[in-house]
Amino acid sequence: MTLALREMRRRPGRFAVATIILTLIAILLMFLGGLLDGLVASSTGAFRAQRADVLVYSGNSRNSLERSRIEPDVRHQVESVPGVTRVGGLGSVQLGGRVPGRGARDLVPTVLFGYELAPRGLPSTPPAAGMVYANDSLRAKNVEVGSTIRLGPARSAVTVVGFVSDTRYSGQGTLWGSLETWRQVLNANRPDARVRPGVVQALVVQGVSLGSAGLPERIDRATDGATKTLTITQAVNALPGVSQQRSVFNQIIGVTVVIAIVVVALFFALLTIERTALYGVLKAIGASSRTLFAGVVFQAVVVALIASLIGIVASLTLNALIPAGTIPFVATPARLLSSAAVLVVAAVVGCTFSLRRVLRVDPAAAIGGTP
Amino acid sequence: MFLALREMSRARVRFGLLICAVGLLVFLILTQQAIQGGLITGFVGALRQQSAPVLVYSVDGERTLQGSVIDPGLEAKIRGVGGVAEAGWVGQSTFTVRVDGGAESDAALIGYEHSGLGDPSRLSSGRRPVGPTEVVGSAADFTVGSRVRIVPSGPAGATSPVFTVVGLVKDAQIQVTPTLFVPWAGYEAAVKAANPDATTVLPSVIAARPTSGVSDTELVRRINAASPDADALTRSQAASDTPGVAQVQQSFQLIFLLYGLVVPLVTGLFFLIITFQKAAALTLLRAIGARSGALVRSLLVQVVLVVGGGIVIGIALFAPLTLIQLGAITIRFDPGAVLFWSVGLLVLGVASALVAARRVLAIDPLEATTGGGGL
Repeated sequence: MTLALREMRRRPGRFAVATIILTLIAILLMFLGGLLDGLVASSTGAFRAQRADVLVYSGNSRNSLERSRIEPDVRHQVESVPGVTRVGGLGSVQLGGRVPGRGARDLVPTVLFGYELAPRGLPSTPPAAGMVYANDSLRAKNVEVGSTIRLGPARSAVTVVGFVSDTRYSGQGTLWGSLETWRQVLNANRPDARVRPGVVQALVVQGVSLGSAGLPERIDRATDGATKTLTITQAVNALPGVSQQRSVFNQIIGVTVVIAIVVVALFFALLTIERTALYGVLKAIGASSRTLFAGVVFQAVVVALIASLIGIVASLTLNALIPAGTIPFVATPARLLSSAAVLVVAAVVGCTFSLRRVLRVDPAAAIGGTP
Repeated sequence: MFLALREMSRARVRFGLLICAVGLLVFLILTQQAIQGGLITGFVGALRQQSAPVLVYSVDGERTLQGSVIDPGLEAKIRGVGGVAEAGWVGQSTFTVRVDGGAESDAALIGYEHSGLGDPSRLSSGRRPVGPTEVVGSAADFTVGSRVRIVPSGPAGATSPVFTVVGLVKDAQIQVTPTLFVPWAGYEAAVKAANPDATTVLPSVIAARPTSGVSDTELVRRINAASPDADALTRSQAASDTPGVAQVQQSFQLIFLLYGLVVPLVTGLFFLIITFQKAAALTLLRAIGARSGALVRSLLVQVVLVVGGGIVIGIALFAPLTLIQLGAITIRFDPGAVLFWSVGLLVLGVASALVAARRVLAIDPLEATTGGGGL
């Protein structure tokens, strides 16, 4: 180990290029992961914030909030299901918002949610009609407490009374008000999507599982298929593009990790070939193959850790420099650390390709014992 | 040349690993390039394929078809602008449908009032609709003769329109969803079936055509000047300015840049290390009369073979992928993009080996007589 470290200290140039390549791969891994996290977070916050067990859509809505319509009689059926403890309506409408201080054409894309059961970070009682809580991403768009935002072509006025975090939806900042506020704004601005009193887009349900059938199954059975009930996780994954984004990005990340393994394998294979004579001498004076290979692994881990560290700093810098509303990149500690861990594992796996060469080194060769 | 090939054949694993690494990188770059193209086509292909040269959104719509609503007041202002030869309604919404009685699925409907203003500009097969229940579908998702039923809101069995696909158009999805172009009456019926509470079905945008002598961009300028609530865009602007398109392109460009840097670095590192390892042999070759130029040529031949081999492997891995549909995204083999990346990576690969070539040129044959030969 000391020998491996000393070699790295005395000949850093030998490891520099490999470190640069692994750094680029580390940045790629963290950027791809951060992009995925950013995309998913900006699409799913409103659902992840729900303090509920399940979300109930209408049966033919294909799990789309915008297409779902729950009539009052269906709501009563859901409320009477054994195990259901609390039921709240949920509605949404995407509209451009006119924020004071911005140009006439410089609208802020928003999604207004109407709710009854408060999501995480919101007071249990929805604000009075015309009042809303705003997602804190809207602060960057000049929205402040007391701001009056005029929504949609009807210029429906809502006043911001506070902020809430991590509730973005469909990549847009959200506003949270009562169902009454939502219904008024929706009907004024979207005549093709208007709803009658009592109609909501989805139900947010708290409850307990009884017996073998879970809560979703019991709700859908009670409504005779008029509803489609999903857990919050299922509802998040059913949002348009979320599972596809995860799948595509994870495949790209997977292939990038394979490339990292190949790069490390290549580099340490070449390095081992270069050091074959030296290993012969070391074995001749008593060093075991295990010790020599541990040195190779140690060097690979150090290179990967340095690359990861630079990658983390670069990702955090990128996170700070990317202007809001452009690339949906988020550098979370979990993502950065897991990418670093993956890179270290890839480095260890990569350098194991050199194991055979290290084992094959014959100490006799060092003292001229082989032809 | 002989030396280069001989060395490669004797160190197959070493060179094979590098060729595989380059091949994987090329595969990733080409795949992501194709995903980017497929994603953007899936997002806004219908806008590119529709026939109206100018689309007028409401400012509130934020340049999305589904988010825009044109009220009668704004419509009147648009129609009154000098230079508008023809204008018509275009609406868009997403519905739950059953195709040929199958399982429920999603479909985006684009309703148009007048032929030539919002319907597909050209079909890849079939014919144009002649009634409100005939539609043109995106070629990747429908076949001519398919029957598409809008699933109505409310109890099963409620009445709803059934459309027959009579024509197809390529690359015409919107929001990465199977898309149908339908005459306005059919679109209106679909909206009312999906939401019985809908009182009025307003257009999402107004499609406009300029009079002779007025360019599309001039008409856009005039309409935007006529009302602060109108957001007129040419067809190509409507596609490129759709929210999300620019972000997708920026994100992918950053990814391409990083991968583009990794390929020459990996190649450059490899040849630099093996040049170091071969130092003694190269010095000996120089001492017995081999010219530096010949040795550098040998090195460059290896670089071209390695990068070229990687490119061939990358293309071979990528090509079968273009035969399948990746979810709703069509991955297409774009010869232009493949050629661009092949040439670009080859040039970068050769450039990256110049450091190793410099080392070769710096070899002093005299070192062979003094027991040196290190670089």
